[in-house]
Amino acid sequence: MSETLLFSLKVVASIFGYFTMATLTRQDLNFGQVVADILCEFLEVAIHLILYVRDVYPSGIFQKRKKYNVPVQMSCHPDLNQYIQDTLHCVKPLIEKNEAEKVVVVIMDKEHRPVERFVFEISQPPLLSISSETLLSHVEQLLRAIILKISVCDAVLDNNPPGCTFTVLVHTREAATRNMEKVQVIKDFPWIVADEQEVHMEEAKLIPLKTMTSDILKMQLYVEEKTQKT
Amino acid sequence: MSRDGWRKKASEDDGWGGRGGYMAAKISKLEEQFQKDAPREKQKDGMSSCIFSGVAIYVNGYTDPSADELRRLMMLHGGQFHLYYTRSKTTHIIATNLPNRKIQELKGEKVVRPEWITDSIKAGRQLSYVPYQLYTKQKGLNFTSVCARGKQDPSSSHEPSKPDLNHPESDSIKPQPSHTQTLSKEVLKSTHANHKANFTERSKHQGSQDTLLTNGYVHPVNGALKPQDSFAELQLHVVDTGSHQSHLPQTESRDREESSCSSAGSKANSHQRSLISTASPAKQPGLHNMQKDLHPKPTFKPGTSAAPQKGNLHDQKRVRLNGSYHMTPNSSTLADSSNQPGRSGQGAEAGIISEFFSHSRLHHISTWRNEFSEYVNSLQSRSRAAGGAVFSGKEKLKKLKANCSSGVRQSCILHVDMDCFFVSVGIRHRPDLKGKPVAVTSNRGPGRVAQRPGANPQLEFQYYQRKQNQYRKVPSNGVDLDLAALSMAEIASCSYEARQADVRNGMFFGRAKQLCPDLQSVPYDFQAYKEVALSMYETLASYTHNIEALSCDEALVDATKLLVELGVTPDDLARAIREDIKEKTGCSASVGMSSNILLARMATRKAKPNGQYFLRSEEVDDFIRDQPVSSLPGVGRSMSSKLTSLGVSTCGDLQQLSISRLQREFGPRTGQTLFRFCRGLDDRPVRSEKERKSVSAEMNYNIRFTQVEEAESFLTNLSMEVQKRMEGAGLRGRRITLKVMMRKPGAPVEPAKYGGHGICDNFARSVLLAQPTDSGQLIAAEAIKLFYAMKLDVKDMRGVGLQVQQLEGSYADPSGQGPSRGRSIKDLLLAKQPAHSPRKDPLAQGQSSVNRTEFFKSTFSSNQERVTPPSSPPSTSSDPMPGTSKGGLHHPHTPNHVRTYLNVSIEVPSPSQVDQSVLEALPVDIRKQVEQSWRHREEQPSTSSHLSTPPRTSSSLPPGPSLGTLVLQLPDQPGQPCTTGIILELPDFSQVDPEVFAALPRELQEELCSAYRNKGNAQAHAQAQGSAVEQKNPFPQLKQPAVGKLKRRYKKRNASPAKKGPSPLKKLFPGNSPAKSSPSKTLPLPLKHRLIHFKYIGCPSSPSIDVPETLSKLNPRPVPTLAGAYEFSDIRTLLREWVTTISEPMEEDILQVVKYCTELVEDKDLEKLYLVIKYMKRLMQQSSESVWSMAFDFVLDNVQVVVQQTYGSTLKIT
Repeated sequence: MSETLLFSLKVVASIFGYFTMATLTRQDLNFGQVVADILCEFLEVAIHLILYVRDVYPSGIFQKRKKYNVPVQMSCHPDLNQYIQDTLHCVKPLIEKNEAEKVVVVIMDKEHRPVERFVFEISQPPLLSISSETLLSHVEQLLRAIILKISVCDAVLDNNPPGCTFTVLVHTREAATRNMEKVQVIKDFPWIVADEQEVHMEEAKLIPLKTMTSDILKMQLYVEEKTQKT
Repeated sequence: MSRDGWRKKASEDDGWGGRGGYMAAKISKLEEQFQKDAPREKQKDGMSSCIFSGVAIYVNGYTDPSADELRRLMMLHGGQFHLYYTRSKTTHIIATNLPNRKIQELKGEKVVRPEWITDSIKAGRQLSYVPYQLYTKQKGLNFTSVCARGKQDPSSSHEPSKPDLNHPESDSIKPQPSHTQTLSKEVLKSTHANHKANFTERSKHQGSQDTLLTNGYVHPVNGALKPQDSFAELQLHVVDTGSHQSHLPQTESRDREESSCSSAGSKANSHQRSLISTASPAKQPGLHNMQKDLHPKPTFKPGTSAAPQKGNLHDQKRVRLNGSYHMTPNSSTLADSSNQPGRSGQGAEAGIISEFFSHSRLHHISTWRNEFSEYVNSLQSRSRAAGGAVFSGKEKLKKLKANCSSGVRQSCILHVDMDCFFVSVGIRHRPDLKGKPVAVTSNRGPGRVAQRPGANPQLEFQYYQRKQNQYRKVPSNGVDLDLAALSMAEIASCSYEARQADVRNGMFFGRAKQLCPDLQSVPYDFQAYKEVALSMYETLASYTHNIEALSCDEALVDATKLLVELGVTPDDLARAIREDIKEKTGCSASVGMSSNILLARMATRKAKPNGQYFLRSEEVDDFIRDQPVSSLPGVGRSMSSKLTSLGVSTCGDLQQLSISRLQREFGPRTGQTLFRFCRGLDDRPVRSEKERKSVSAEMNYNIRFTQVEEAESFLTNLSMEVQKRMEGAGLRGRRITLKVMMRKPGAPVEPAKYGGHGICDNFARSVLLAQPTDSGQLIAAEAIKLFYAMKLDVKDMRGVGLQVQQLEGSYADPSGQGPSRGRSIKDLLLAKQPAHSPRKDPLAQGQSSVNRTEFFKSTFSSNQERVTPPSSPPSTSSDPMPGTSKGGLHHPHTPNHVRTYLNVSIEVPSPSQVDQSVLEALPVDIRKQVEQSWRHREEQPSTSSHLSTPPRTSSSLPPGPSLGTLVLQLPDQPGQPCTTGIILELPDFSQVDPEVFAALPRELQEELCSAYRNKGNAQAHAQAQGSAVEQKNPFPQLKQPAVGKLKRRYKKRNASPAKKGPSPLKKLFPGNSPAKSSPSKTLPLPLKHRLIHFKYIGCPSSPSIDVPETLSKLNPRPVPTLAGAYEFSDIRTLLREWVTTISEPMEEDILQVVKYCTELVEDKDLEKLYLVIKYMKRLMQQSSESVWSMAFDFVLDNVQVVVQQTYGSTLKIT
């Protein structure tokens, strides 16, 4: 594996900026795009749910929705939603090109020290082709399993200290960052290199949550948890 | 008229109902049941008749008599009862009371009170339903009651006043009814004479079963009412009268009845050749009904009692008949048939595709457009190269018009279109045909064709008709019932004189001949088309090079600059061009001129024939307002019908709609286009070159497969055709689409047109490849996969097409500028088969293959020193049963799935892992080498981590040395002799896949060949040794006493992958030295072999791979397994067994578990790892033996190290 560059959108969750969505010029529908669409949709659901389950925000701002045929929680705070959407919007091109290795939701305490890292490790099968036999419903089943795991992950995790914030990191493959600097998907919403302290946690414990393997995508979700959170 | 009754049935019950799946199956089952019950009912109840033949009722709501009773009545009287309402099949709805909502729904249907049925039965005939209509507002009179001809029933005089959906053909038939009626008697007589002769002839064939015979006669009538001549209609009539008269004893005498019925049958019989239907009765309920109607006639079979049985016999006979009729010659009148291979080989022959495309001249014409585009391109590039072109025509015009100038500044597009291109070319040397109606068609005969077995044109006609009715259009290609026997050759083009007689392009020739008896047919003359088209383009090119080729006879010219330069009016230019063309080709052309492409094309329509029209911009508004929407490009049948439903018929109407409305209705793009087009706005430029969107090859003529293999090979051939075309265009594509036309269920097996596809359902499926390709083999592989995924019955395939989209220029294109630029169009045109000039791009092909071989070379050469060529393990058998492999050292058989594991190298395991006995079993030289490699290893101090890991390229090799061959990998030892290769064992030569072999690099092939030569001795040698060793290692010597345990152990161990260098285990386990005698030594020999064998199966790539990343990407890493177990449940079982049955875990086993866990980490399957660990924790810590606890700690420690290395943190084990 080549060097891994770490990038993050370091926006503290409590301070939202409003960003206009730039229109993406859609290329022809290709494989990467399909995967990216599916995955980003999933990540959006997952991030909302993680924020809910891990008590990053008061549960009052969440609403119950149905996705993948299971109940999920979704924030109804417009700025938060926008932030998540913008973030994923920027992640999407990376996934399309299979350049994103991990998408990490880092939950940090008041001092901005990470206490938990939800790591979505993504790999796309090297040689594949989508046919209409590749059923979306199958992928959805797998994604649903992950969602369900997230919703019960508080059972295996310790409680977070109050006043947590979150950020999203993307571990890219190879030299993807170079291109990212050139092309800003959303104006004024650039990627920056993550601080070392956000990336690494001392005495972290790893809790695998779920692994899925499908024709189009292989993904595993695990949580790295700080041993002493307080 | 009775005719209507027949047709009604055929059209209503012909099984075209658009429901699929369950409901369709259920309905057909119900129908079957109904038909099975019917004869029983009839038997029970003495009085039965056929008065309701052709009537299918659906009972809605409460009725008196009840629905059940009505069902029984329908059974008795030859009708149909539908439990489910089908608009297409159900003829009458029976109800006494309907809610308003339902009435709305059933508008236009025949809703009749139940009294109609009871009264009809009372009257002994089918009464007109009109007086019984439930609601008088209903649209009536669609259906003229079935009643006897000659009987003066008032309702019989109802001629269809409004053409109904079901029988729109009635209009075309109407003009001749008197003719039919007068003739019918004659026919009856004449056919009656025939009857006898046929009868005797038949009886020879069939033995002496009378009933059978009658069945036989009846059948063809139903199957395909298909006379060979203009008696088509007549015949119909005869049959109908025959069948219906018999219900009416009072009208005709018995004798007469019989004769008419049987003569109808025999008449049909005399036309056997054309009258047999191969469709099964279940698929053609309509026909089946008809048979049913005829069967119970007392005059026909006096002793009618076992109808079902008869039906069976009948079917059998039909099969036989079909068999024999297949041999009848049927292509005599078809012009094209001589080109085609015999029926038996249809669609299946190897070269058929190339042949088809090289013979399909229409296909050529369609490819010409590309060629002309290229021609224009080449002209342009040539003129660029020459630093300016000489436009002879332009110069001429310049001279002529030197004096006058009109100063047209506006852009001006000329649309040049030849007038009835095919016709005018066809008759340019035949002045005698000028001014006469002429059609170009492949049919040269009188316009009549013999009917072929299995064909049922009526059904097809009705289908097409109904389809057309969907669009509320007059049937335009003249498809009509009475055309049954007429030529099905389509008219490619017809002259204006013929068009005046309502002959249209695309019409079947037979029909056209009816409309216009003087119609002359002209054969295709492809050479001439080519010449004329070329000279037309040359003419245009003599004026300007801004030409867009639309087709062989149509081009767009951007004359803006030209006009400014010359200072002439567009009209002058057009006239000059037309004169030029006329002079050079002898054919006339029409020119439309306007400010953009759209208007120019519309102007051409006005200019035709042989004229020109300049649509000035100030006239545009008025002009376009009156144009029908269908004249806009992109507005086809479906869109125009949609527009009609919006109340739009002309562009003026369309202008009334807002853009948002249009976009809502048709989507954003189409909506906008429509909005602009209907205002005459069009900003498309005249493009001399159009980008190609797809490359495809399709064939829907003469496709008749009998076996899947045929279809497969056909797909392969078609792929090759696509490859040829892609190579020709220098393109590669990523998306492969397979289109298949399948015979529509219920459609006749043999379509009306010889070799045609008939009525079909279209299916398409596509796949996206990771890389663009132009390789026919790759395309074929994908296509075949798609084909299987579609799960189709090959017998019903009627057309196959392959399309490749998402094109990219092939990088191997020599010029690097994409689609065959530099080619001269002239070469193409003059070549006999332009589309298939085998212009292989040597570079394009060469490069990729060179690349591949180079790759092989490089990988192999880099390994040459250490990687030996493929050889097999002592036993390639992957059979886990110990018994089977005993003594099976050199099983020549290679189990199938071994093939799937393509990577076949293992490194030399550390000595502790190799059983001495195995070693002994090896040929001497190999053994020496292995030992030497150990020695070498021991010499090096840093053994543990790197020694046993020479660059392991082979695990990521492409499917090269497959077949379960095993490569013994040795560390690089410069001084060692015989490094080129150690061939352990080879699979039996017969097992070698020739393809794989061919894919191997040359040196490998040679090596293998020589290896095979030597194989014999070596094998014998090894075998002898092997058996000797086995005797030396008898079972009782085993450390493990229990056989069961042994088995399990063996299972566990043999499946475990090879030891890897950087594993932390070695460090932690210093005792793992070669000197230490391992317990595994005592394992019986076969098991040991298996150990080796499985090792390579489960072997994942280790991190020390030094292969290019791309290669390792191509090879999916093998799934980690523990003792062959992959599923978590299996692994759990295995672990439980291990922990519960053994008191003291073997060190080796523990290592295997660790190995497995490590692989899980590498495979990024933390979840499974977590589950395994947690499960082991529970198991082992529960165990009474503290050894197990320690074992778990050991495993966990190791796993944590690996996890820590990979993820930077350790697992949280609670």
